[in-house]
Amino acid sequence: MNSTTSRRGLRLGEGTFSFNFDGRRYQAREGDTAASALLANGVRLMGRSIKARRRRGVLTAGPEEPNALLTVGDSFNCIPNVAAPQLVLRAGLLLRSQNRWPSLKFDVASVLQAGGGILGAGFYYKTFMWPSWHTYEPLIRRLAGLGSAPAACTLPQASIENFSCDVLIGGGGVAGLTAARAATRAGARVVVCEREPCLGGEIEFEDARIEGTGALAWLRELAVELNSRGARLLFETTVVGGRGGEVIAHAEPGGLAGANTLYRIRPRVFVVAMGATERPLTFVDNDLPGVMLLSAAERYGVRYGVRIAKRTVIFANHNRAYAAATRLAAAGMQICAIVDTRPESAITEARVAALREQLVRSGIECLYEQTVIAARGRAGVTAAEVGSITGTGHVRVIECDTILMSGGWTPVTHAGQQEGGTRRYVPDIAAFVADRQPDARMTVGAANGVFELSAICHEAQAIGERAARLAGQACSPVPPPKAQGDPAPELRPFWRSPAPRAAEKRQFVDFQNDVTVADLRSAVEEGFYEIEHAKRYTALGFGTDQGRLSGVLGAAIIAELRGEPLDRVGTSRLRQPFHPVTLKSLAGLRTGAALRVTRRTPLHKWHLAQGGVMGPTGLWMRPMHYGKAGADVARISALEATAVRTTGGISDASTLGKIEIAGPDAAAFLDYLYMTPASSLKVGRSRYAVNLREDGMVLDDGLLLRMGSDRFRATTSTGHAEEMLAHFEYYRALEFGTAQVVISDVTDAWAVIVVAGPKSREALLPILEDPSRPPVAALQHMDFTMARFAGAELLVLRASFSGELACELHCPPDSAASLADALVGAGMKPYGLEALDILRVEKGYLTHAELSGQTTPYDLGMEGFLKRKDRFVGSDLLDRPAFHEESRPRLVGVRAANGHAAFLAGAQLVGREDRNHPCGYITSSALSPALGEYIGLALVARSIGEGAEIIARDPLRLGDTTVRIAPIVHFDPSGERMRR
Amino acid sequence: MTQLVCPFCGPRELHEFEFRKTAASAGGTPVERVYLRVDHPDLSIEHWHHVRGCRAWLVIERNPSTDAICRVRLLGGDAE
Amino acid sequence: MPRIEQAPSQDGNNPQLRNLRPSPRYSALSLLRARFASGPYWRALWTGRALQPAYDVVIVGAGGHGLATAFHLARDHRVGSVAVLEKSLLGYGNVGRNTTIVRSNYLLPENHYFYEDSLRRWERLSKDLNYNVMYSPRGVVDLALSEDELPGLSRRGNAMRLAGIDAELLDVSGLERFCPELAPRRQRRFNIIGALLQRRGGTVRHDAVAWGYARAASALGVHIIEDCEVASVRVEAGFAKGVETSRGYVKAERIAFATAGHTAAIGTMLGIPMPIETHLLQAMVTEPVKPLLNTVVVYVSPGHGEAYISQSDRGGLVMGGHLDGFPSYTREGRWDRLEDVASGAVEVLPQIAGLRVLRQWAGTNDMTMDGSPIIDRLKYDNVFVNAGWCYGGFKAIPASGAAFAQFLATGTAPDLIRGYRLSRFNTGHMLDEPGHGPFPVRL
Repeated sequence: MNSTTSRRGLRLGEGTFSFNFDGRRYQAREGDTAASALLANGVRLMGRSIKARRRRGVLTAGPEEPNALLTVGDSFNCIPNVAAPQLVLRAGLLLRSQNRWPSLKFDVASVLQAGGGILGAGFYYKTFMWPSWHTYEPLIRRLAGLGSAPAACTLPQASIENFSCDVLIGGGGVAGLTAARAATRAGARVVVCEREPCLGGEIEFEDARIEGTGALAWLRELAVELNSRGARLLFETTVVGGRGGEVIAHAEPGGLAGANTLYRIRPRVFVVAMGATERPLTFVDNDLPGVMLLSAAERYGVRYGVRIAKRTVIFANHNRAYAAATRLAAAGMQICAIVDTRPESAITEARVAALREQLVRSGIECLYEQTVIAARGRAGVTAAEVGSITGTGHVRVIECDTILMSGGWTPVTHAGQQEGGTRRYVPDIAAFVADRQPDARMTVGAANGVFELSAICHEAQAIGERAARLAGQACSPVPPPKAQGDPAPELRPFWRSPAPRAAEKRQFVDFQNDVTVADLRSAVEEGFYEIEHAKRYTALGFGTDQGRLSGVLGAAIIAELRGEPLDRVGTSRLRQPFHPVTLKSLAGLRTGAALRVTRRTPLHKWHLAQGGVMGPTGLWMRPMHYGKAGADVARISALEATAVRTTGGISDASTLGKIEIAGPDAAAFLDYLYMTPASSLKVGRSRYAVNLREDGMVLDDGLLLRMGSDRFRATTSTGHAEEMLAHFEYYRALEFGTAQVVISDVTDAWAVIVVAGPKSREALLPILEDPSRPPVAALQHMDFTMARFAGAELLVLRASFSGELACELHCPPDSAASLADALVGAGMKPYGLEALDILRVEKGYLTHAELSGQTTPYDLGMEGFLKRKDRFVGSDLLDRPAFHEESRPRLVGVRAANGHAAFLAGAQLVGREDRNHPCGYITSSALSPALGEYIGLALVARSIGEGAEIIARDPLRLGDTTVRIAPIVHFDPSGERMRR
Repeated sequence: MTQLVCPFCGPRELHEFEFRKTAASAGGTPVERVYLRVDHPDLSIEHWHHVRGCRAWLVIERNPSTDAICRVRLLGGDAE
Repeated sequence: MPRIEQAPSQDGNNPQLRNLRPSPRYSALSLLRARFASGPYWRALWTGRALQPAYDVVIVGAGGHGLATAFHLARDHRVGSVAVLEKSLLGYGNVGRNTTIVRSNYLLPENHYFYEDSLRRWERLSKDLNYNVMYSPRGVVDLALSEDELPGLSRRGNAMRLAGIDAELLDVSGLERFCPELAPRRQRRFNIIGALLQRRGGTVRHDAVAWGYARAASALGVHIIEDCEVASVRVEAGFAKGVETSRGYVKAERIAFATAGHTAAIGTMLGIPMPIETHLLQAMVTEPVKPLLNTVVVYVSPGHGEAYISQSDRGGLVMGGHLDGFPSYTREGRWDRLEDVASGAVEVLPQIAGLRVLRQWAGTNDMTMDGSPIIDRLKYDNVFVNAGWCYGGFKAIPASGAAFAQFLATGTAPDLIRGYRLSRFNTGHMLDEPGHGPFPVRL
């Protein structure tokens, strides 16, 4: 019947190849999808349902497919949950069915079906409580889920494309294309997104004539015209979301996650022409393999030449059934009966009546006010039970192998709904359509609830012209194309066949989540009758189709159970993405190393050449120490620190923030931004400077240099560089708007090399140019001067973070490496962050460990700076009562009580009497080579004085250590080493 | 909301900007000015920074229930 | 610092109350009985009661906190008449929109004792409510991405341990054993160097919490009225008398607002600006797959790089990240934030890159100026507010319900929530865990 080689279809090419499904080889044609090829090979059983593990076959011919979800690839490298109707096959592809064990035909867990009424919606809320949920969870989790994720993911990176256009049209069916043509002819730049690999939508199989030619020929000419006029056609691309004037579309070529593209589009006008999804009908065992949507049968026939049935029953509530039946019969399908839920009088269109007469004459029974009560069969459909829609009277059994059902269509209206707008219910088609929309969004065609081709063309022409005008193109109205396609539906709503209550649990509404009429009834009975509650309770619409297939069906059944009209019940809100999007596509280009930019200082290569082992500080890479990675870090860092204290060393401080503030009001500005005033600073001098946050907490510290009466350079910590710049600029705008202050970020303009140690001056002076030496030699502590090194200008600041005689050298980035080389040549060894931390803890200097954003200046012993009377940022909130309580912390030093025990930053501190209530914690710690023991800084309640012995408790790492409160400055308390 | 209109740069993508805080109500004690916020479902007066652009500070009046932008001006431009 | 006592746990094993238990009781046996019953067996979870003209306590907001409070008022304090008024649908706010994570791994004692009380209640909540809330103690893992994060994580973990709360610091080997699917040794943009683990943390089915409390409260006589919006509070002689609602005026002895996400509007209603900005937080879920992630992973990388991931019992990976970054009541989100979360998630678990996101959603959060909640009286002696939960309100529900109920019933805030008073900003007693100050959207 469906020979691989002789099949003829719109999408088929000439070649044939083999593929693998569940371990068996099958033949396919170029252009086949997994569904079409399997159907052609007589394979109907393609999956098992998620909860009850019922046998399932393919229901649809589109991406809303709920049942036939396959895993492509082997377990190491695979893609799960691929919709079989969308997956375009390639040679050698390995396909596996999902959610079954050990095999699709024989699945052990299908015994769950016997659970029938017990495993209804939400049953797990009513049990699994003893002894605890966790006891049952592992098994339940293994039964849940569809496919399995791979062990690794080898998908290529997604492409990202941003573009704008005049008119974006979602959907390349007749509606979308007519609008596209109208808009392009008016001169608008048009882009069409079509989710299939080719244009056309329903007219692929409808017997349509447009503008005097057959629909397919019309399509071809139109595509040529659109291309020649510069319209852009994106295939296999679905609009998935977006708002705020942006529309997001996602392309998944071949229906398989792979070389995906994510489009971020800014159209001036967005036309929604994405059609309507055919709806299933509800009857007992309507999920058997062999029950399919009516249009699916047509699509498999026309696109892939697959005749999906030998004997079929058609079950519908509208006129199109007769047109479809005529076509399917002509293609060789044997149609046993057409079961129409409407009365015969519902058909008023003469054309339909004629079709019907023809069908009856050819021996096909047309039954009215009848419904399919149940499908019979085990592995697949073997017969249909047909009876009156009232549920009474005689029930016939019609033998068939397929039931093709159609309950009408649900317009695809979600795209753009994120932007707002309302919906209204249209009783004639028993569906919701967009009502009020923003001006720049229009809905047309089946998406707008218009199903008749001539009406569609009429509307689409007008919409296309209106869109072009809105996008700024002048155009005058043109008569719409004349078209005739399938007859108007004349639909009468019908949702479910009558059934005894016991059978309702086999009437499926949402196929992917095994939601049945019984579940909806339970939901209503248990008080979950609002649609959003019912959805959450039953999982209706939670599947990969987001309710496009069964959302309205479920809502209508709930409405019937509640005895209320459907538009009162409404449907649940659809959320973007409207079609599933791979995480890889969302991650876009920001994967791997590109997740975040990596910031490197001008000395990065130099560090590596010196053997620097680099580590992250935020986005920066900085040298932790120099030596081999994995070597004894503690020992190496101790040696580096010792070298600084005995001879000298150099370190890279380029990551510190540097901001220049200039202008006649610069000093006044800085007086306001800092707790430490700037106006009293003399030119050529620097001072330690502290910023408070608006709430009085210490925000950051650094140095303030006065370059001139109207010019300052401020340094900030590495971690707060961006924040401090923004903070300055904020207050510049907010409170100094009329002042003359200019702020420049010079962080990246200057590399900073610190040269520190007893011999640092001796090392520095000779490498400077001659005239620079005397002023640098004469520098006092905290002074700075300009100097020259090898033709480049340097700022030499005598300041120290190590407590040794030291200078900070601000040099142009290009000179940094040679300056560093020169200093190394003069005997200064490089030291990294670990050593730097040891040195600064020895001296009681602060970093973000102490400046945690939770400490006040009082906590940190900075009262000395608070003698000013004027206001500055944070001053207003400094005297709140809590800041002066005895329990408030104070910065102290800590040492081991026994003179050698270890302790670490992050240990909590407790008094000896109350071991479970912390009175502080250790903020920083180091094993000090200078002192030969562990030293630390801590924040401890004020009530605890110097010399007190308390316990450092670190259950996570070292356990308990007795420590004693010590002075903050552990080494060289007088500070005379750096003042030499 | 995917774009903001900077008075200097014109319409720019949202990710060029960063929100800092909503405005405090006028008057009040210093503590109130730091901690209290004016938060209406219909009107939000906000301080934004064009951090990845011209670095201007802006006052943006928006409707946070619709994301519609009512007014954009420079911070400190008018009397605060 | 004041000592924080743990709240005594109330058992509710009161024989008088047993008769009021919802009938039929949920159990495996009752499932079987329902299967063979001839007619409808189950009853509606919260019966549709008519709004009465007066109540002892009116709770505004049928979210997790409101319902839990009503339950405790009825069960533990025998308050006569309680109504929960909800402007739209029960449980449709943040309790139905979160990423279902429960934990008590907080730094400050005012917080960790509170959330630990909550976690201990989570452990037995299914039995207390006779409703399976699916508490899954699968662990919460806070990843450390550089050496200088370890002191901060240790400080927090040590504080937890001293308070009797479980916490462990894992190195790479330990993390590999606990969560092999994470492959912590793998090279990443930010390498994983360790983690803070709370084993008893995990997930809970969020909808079940709202429904479970609603059912239990309703069985104890609480009136839950949906589609009833409170427009204003009627005040006479400096005392609140009742609330004007869309269904008429309701007299109330005490009025309690549990409307986190809309607390600023309550402040406006009473003429009090609040220390709150209302921000939007998104979350998303992937298609369901077989078990692949067996714990909750929290990943914070520099520059809006937050991503927290867990796998629901249905099989989808539930993920969230940073706030959208500006005030919004729209409950729609910015697309680029989804991209941020996705890039973080794929960095942590590269094997999930081929999985597809099915849908996103969003909630509105009360972001306070120190990141900690507000439970206090508001302006009048008999008006109370339970708010400011930022993006962490879900895990707090059981403790919040019990403590807020005690507050409402006795007029005195229990020690467990004393730290959450509104005046703390005036006095300087902020509870600022991360140290970011009065800026909910971190710079």
